[in-house]
Amino acid sequence: MKLAALALLLCAAMALSLMVGFRHLTPEDYLAALTAFDPYDPAHVTLISIRLPRLLAGLIAGSALGVAGSVMQALTRNPLADPGLLGINAGAAFALILGTTLVGTTGAGALALMAFPGAALASVAVFTLGGGLRGDAGPVRLTLAGAALNALLLSLVAGVALVRQDALDVFRFWVAGSLTQADARPLAAMALAAGLGMALALALALKLEAMSLGATLARGLGTRPGQAQAGALVAVTLTTGAAVAVAGPIAFLGLMVPPLARRIAGHRLRGELVAAAMLGAAVLLLADTAGRLILAPGEVRAGIMVALVGGPVFIWIARRLRPGAVA
Amino acid sequence: MAPTTRSARLSRRAFLTAAAALAAPRLIAGSGLRFDGPFGETWLPAPARRVVSLGYTSQDPLLALGIVPLAIRNWYGDQPSATWRWARPLLQGATPPVITGEVSMERVAALAPDLIVGIGAGLSEPEVQLLTRIAPVLMQGADQPAFGSAWQDDTRRIGRATGREARAENAIADVEARFAAARARHPEWKGMTAAAAWHEGGQTGAFMGGDNRARFLSELGFRPTEALTRIAARDGFYTTLSPEDLSPLDADLVVWISAYESAPDMVRLPMRRTLAAHRTGREVFAGELIAGALSFGSVLSLPFALDALEADIAAATDGDPATVVSSAQSAGLTE
Repeated sequence: MKLAALALLLCAAMALSLMVGFRHLTPEDYLAALTAFDPYDPAHVTLISIRLPRLLAGLIAGSALGVAGSVMQALTRNPLADPGLLGINAGAAFALILGTTLVGTTGAGALALMAFPGAALASVAVFTLGGGLRGDAGPVRLTLAGAALNALLLSLVAGVALVRQDALDVFRFWVAGSLTQADARPLAAMALAAGLGMALALALALKLEAMSLGATLARGLGTRPGQAQAGALVAVTLTTGAAVAVAGPIAFLGLMVPPLARRIAGHRLRGELVAAAMLGAAVLLLADTAGRLILAPGEVRAGIMVALVGGPVFIWIARRLRPGAVA
Repeated sequence: MAPTTRSARLSRRAFLTAAAALAAPRLIAGSGLRFDGPFGETWLPAPARRVVSLGYTSQDPLLALGIVPLAIRNWYGDQPSATWRWARPLLQGATPPVITGEVSMERVAALAPDLIVGIGAGLSEPEVQLLTRIAPVLMQGADQPAFGSAWQDDTRRIGRATGREARAENAIADVEARFAAARARHPEWKGMTAAAAWHEGGQTGAFMGGDNRARFLSELGFRPTEALTRIAARDGFYTTLSPEDLSPLDADLVVWISAYESAPDMVRLPMRRTLAAHRTGREVFAGELIAGALSFGSVLSLPFALDALEADIAAATDGDPATVVSSAQSAGLTE
């Protein structure tokens, strides 16, 4: 019932994202743009090249970050865990700034393709540093390794950005997180990556729940913690990497969606994952749509809108935390 | 009678004070140069020879007057000695050090300048006070904005401070004559609309009003589109447009300003293709170097930009969509 309401919310967010914007589109515009697309008609271009790609990017990045956040919080047993905790955003940022510096400035599409491998490499590094290869990467080890790599990569990013103006230019636009360049991003490939990651997360949900009882008990229940952990990290990497590639780093979304999803779906990880995917996508789409209106004709980036909402939600979550309980 | 005596005494005192007040500056003025500025007057005992250029673009007028600065402030672009191609020959082989980011007072002091040019340097009042203890600081006129003072005023001020007024006036007259000649060669530009557009990080906008890039176009006779005039009244000299409506840019001439020589995002921007200016070949591309010259808007960079752009602007505004605008074509904008 609650999930149905959430699905309705997502549908409403999707519809708004197609309908609301600076340019007013008539019903005829929608029909004509879909049946007889004219690349010289601003109304058609608005729908096909701006609003539709933004909708798809919002769906991919929002649902991916919601799922990634839920997996991270289950894996680390920490209600304040964020997909960025594993250094994935920092890895993407580093790959991006290295790419811009070495190759020179390239288009938004090429930048997105650099972000994904950067994200993947960073999470492999965190897993290795955290002792994952020996099979004993506990939540604390992983968090510490992630924090260390984050700090290292972000200081390298800052170092390059300080001396290279062109890299800084690219970086400061990318870092806020936005759906405005959705049209230039590899949406199909990233939808596939995010979809694989989400499917993997669903498949691992029971094992992750068993692991929340502690590694020893989980082993007794027939789970191999090392394997489940590695699988969960692959899921987080695929989803977060895809999100970063289509929208840049969107702060707070992976942090605030899972606790809300738990309230809606209850404490079953599978249900939570489905709810988190829908809620994440709905929040990001609504944030993007609101960002088009607030300072029209200029736009507020979706990443900033999410952070504006996410800040207060984060405080609310932190205040409701009880030691030992999962929010 | 008493009031008269008193007023007589007063007036005598007033006369003496006034005489003293008049004599003092004349004494100083006789042996030095005075300049107004946003934080008060600057006084130079004699025309300067050893000059530190702290303005982001003030190296250009200095070099134009034959003065190689002791150090040059870096704006952007990673150029050697922070001096772009249009000004580089005037360094006469010298390689002045570059001051990047915040100004180090110790470095400036170590250079022992007799003048610090702070026109368009974004200096705060405390910074100017501190720098003044090293050497007189020449600022833009009190009535000029901190950034974007008129290039003629900058050149004239620097000319006076370095004792090269005649050379400054000649340089100004020369550049103004070049623009007048371009206007005379292309009378059709008068009354046409033009937009200086940018696209970066997924956002598109325009430079307007007193911005150097917009001013370049108006000095050639173009006027902004009506929509841009309305926006300029609200936003000043820089605006961001909605990606869903770029029609304010749709002028008789659109000059795309890019910080880079290649602009793949600008090229593939679908909404750009809906502009009539695109369909009828009225776009011009200004990449890193030419956009830099437009952004500097100096006595040296403006003629450089004019030489580089005149043929392209003429090709874009000739009314024939088939004429090739070489900069737009090589950037891929015509695809």
